[in-house]
Amino acid sequence: MATERSTREESWYGTGEGVNQLRGRLFKWGCLGAMLFGIAMVFVLLAYVALDAIRPLTADPGWHLTFFLALVAPTTALVGYYGLRDRRSGWVGATATALPAFCLLIGSGIALLLVEVFRPIEWFGSTLALLLAVGAIYAHRRFRSDPVAFEPTLVAVAALVFALVGVPGAVPSLSRILQNAPLALNHATMMLYSFAAPVAILAGWVVARRRESRRDGAVAVALTLVVAVFAVFSAPAVGIDDYLLIVLSLSVAVPSALYVGGVVRERQHLAGLALPVVVYAGMFVGAAAVEAFGFAGPEAWLDWQFLTNSHSRFAEEAGIYPALVGSIMMMLVIVVSAFPVGVAAAVYLEEYAPDTGRLGWVVSLIETNIANLAGVPSVVYGLLGLALFIRYAGMNTGSVIVGGFTVGLLILPIVIISAQEAIRAVPSSMRQASYGMGATKWQTVRNVVLPEALPGILTGNILAFGRAIGETAPLLMIGAAAVVFSPPGGFTEKFSAMPRQIFAWSHEPSAEFRYGVLAAGVVTLLVVLLSMNAAAILIRNKYQRRS
Amino acid sequence: MSEEPARPEFAGENRTRSAKESAIKWFLFVCAALSVFVTLAIVATLLFDAIEFFTRVSPVAFFTGTSWSPKIGESFGVLPLVSNTLAVTVLSALVAIPVGTASAAYLSEYATDRTRSVLKPALEVLAGIPTVVYGFFALVYVTPALQAVGVPVSTFNLLSASLMVGVMIIPMVSSLSEDAMSAVPDSLRQGAYGLGATKFEVTTTVVIPAAVSGIFSSFILALSRAIGETMIVVVAAGMSPQLFPSPFSSIQPMTSAMVQLSTSDLAGGTAAYYALFAIGLTLFVITFSMNVASNWVASRYREEYE
Repeated sequence: MATERSTREESWYGTGEGVNQLRGRLFKWGCLGAMLFGIAMVFVLLAYVALDAIRPLTADPGWHLTFFLALVAPTTALVGYYGLRDRRSGWVGATATALPAFCLLIGSGIALLLVEVFRPIEWFGSTLALLLAVGAIYAHRRFRSDPVAFEPTLVAVAALVFALVGVPGAVPSLSRILQNAPLALNHATMMLYSFAAPVAILAGWVVARRRESRRDGAVAVALTLVVAVFAVFSAPAVGIDDYLLIVLSLSVAVPSALYVGGVVRERQHLAGLALPVVVYAGMFVGAAAVEAFGFAGPEAWLDWQFLTNSHSRFAEEAGIYPALVGSIMMMLVIVVSAFPVGVAAAVYLEEYAPDTGRLGWVVSLIETNIANLAGVPSVVYGLLGLALFIRYAGMNTGSVIVGGFTVGLLILPIVIISAQEAIRAVPSSMRQASYGMGATKWQTVRNVVLPEALPGILTGNILAFGRAIGETAPLLMIGAAAVVFSPPGGFTEKFSAMPRQIFAWSHEPSAEFRYGVLAAGVVTLLVVLLSMNAAAILIRNKYQRRS
Repeated sequence: MSEEPARPEFAGENRTRSAKESAIKWFLFVCAALSVFVTLAIVATLLFDAIEFFTRVSPVAFFTGTSWSPKIGESFGVLPLVSNTLAVTVLSALVAIPVGTASAAYLSEYATDRTRSVLKPALEVLAGIPTVVYGFFALVYVTPALQAVGVPVSTFNLLSASLMVGVMIIPMVSSLSEDAMSAVPDSLRQGAYGLGATKFEVTTTVVIPAAVSGIFSSFILALSRAIGETMIVVVAAGMSPQLFPSPFSSIQPMTSAMVQLSTSDLAGGTAAYYALFAIGLTLFVITFSMNVASNWVASRYREEYE
């Protein structure tokens, strides 16, 4: 290389002086420093927020010592071992540790939906109605072997509409009939039938497929049901309603067990499974020891009380619960509205769109449009929502559904672009093979392209939903409430979301709000958001490695 | 596809099936066309209400007026808001452009695959943090830190808000610029090395000039994001528009004026209510034209390599 000092006298490129490396080195380190500047700045600020929200220094020294001995020291030792000896097992261990926590987050979200949006009886009625509708569709397909044009589609749509919606004002839906039917069931039994049973069947199906053994599948079904029933009996000891404990325990136990089962079956990186055991056992031992010795924990702002209370004038009693539920309900609206439309648009643009002709011109217009829509400021989308949904469509100011639709429009371009990339990555040989078998375009898309692109689509969508959770400006424009004291009872009621609540707190003059409650709210929002991002990255890594 | 004239009749081919196929095709087309509808709806809503505004307040008074107080005194001069938006944009660009370009150069030219796989997601975390949280950082940590160092900033100020806006748009500059730099073909680098250039010379005199259109378009896009950024400035920059802003005092950009207008109790038909849409239209036109310009720069000045 030119950077080496020449040994020969009067070499061809000069007088043998060599090249000054200082400038290049300075440039390289300058670039690295610049890159680390942004990262370091934000991580320092995040550390400050965490300190303000948790206040670890207010705990007893004994508390710190106990948790250091029980949790931090063993975990650090184990992580050090993984780092030096066995990185792959380390990754397995990290996934196995993070998965239950992440599933607990999702499970809490589902449980909140069951408490605040659907009640157990509504959920039970809807599930049963859906089941009957699917049964009717299946029976129709089975017994009418030669249907006329569009008959299967019409029957399917009619069955689903009748089961879930009915004809407003005229015919009640099946789910409403079931909800009003005199049933001698308590909440726990309803959840066993309408939540535990479907989850158990799903788990059994996954296990049976993965192990190619129906017996293993049956065992998985039985085990899942046992966990659910056990949850019912242990509910009084834990202090949570039994039907909620079914949801929580199943949403943690089933995915974790499936993952651990997969690791055990492959018989590789088994050492990784030590990490979750050490972490969770350390937590329990630490908590038990702290309880036994009577050490006081930190006086954190972010505690159970913060998560379950609504806003209060007093900083100690202020909580985020209504905003949390509002955020979850808004996400539900976004998932139902933006996800299908965005994926459908991406399918059209990648699979159907012609390049030439009059339609080709429209398609290129659409593509340019989507790229430009992604750059429109979010506050302008807020104005759009205000004008479109509130003024012209006459929906309620600041209701969940207006918020969901507005933010849904905002993330639609991101959903479309990421889904397009995922669909584009499906190799065209797979499509050709499908056409070669005589499949039509839609059959190819539905059975080959979409399943193959699904992980990519999911990754992009989770990232887009992460963006949606943090959006504040459109919510301000459509008049989402600064403070609500109870969670919205339905989708047309006024709501507040987590970022909206944080913004409201930033106006509070007192330092307790500014440094305590605000920090706790920010940490809650960031935990939800970063775990969503982490999930997206995990999905991406898992499926990238395979292909 | 449907254009093919003579298609062999396969076993599964029948009329119902092709009708179903084309129904699905049109359904998907409608979903894709929704984006055009959204654009038209944005333009229509902004335009109608802005026109309503301009029938009450003359456009000349709006675009050349130097005082903004929509409720008291009803003076609707947008210039102070525009100048404050510009100030935020320029200051944040001073942070984001050097840092972002340098990060892109490091990621693309110096980082090993392994370093890149760690640093790139870490940088992307910055883009995933909600802007209201950045506003909180600016208000609660950055401003007191600046005060502690001796910078004479007030509680709400331009400087700390712009710093955070700058940090927020770093990932945008760096990832788009890195894409542009990675797209420079290796043969160019090899040629420069063959002539005896050092890595520094290759990076600064070959790669960056070759990728300059992509880098420049990333700047424009990031600036457009800074112009439209709302929550950081609403939380941390204050509510007092000034025609010639000082970096240490409270200001009010366009977006923050919009939030103030919409969160205060405005009666539906007042001029102040329609002013919301007039500012919105101004903002939309500026950012939209910048996005178009960014695309144009990227495609017009792209150097084509084989």
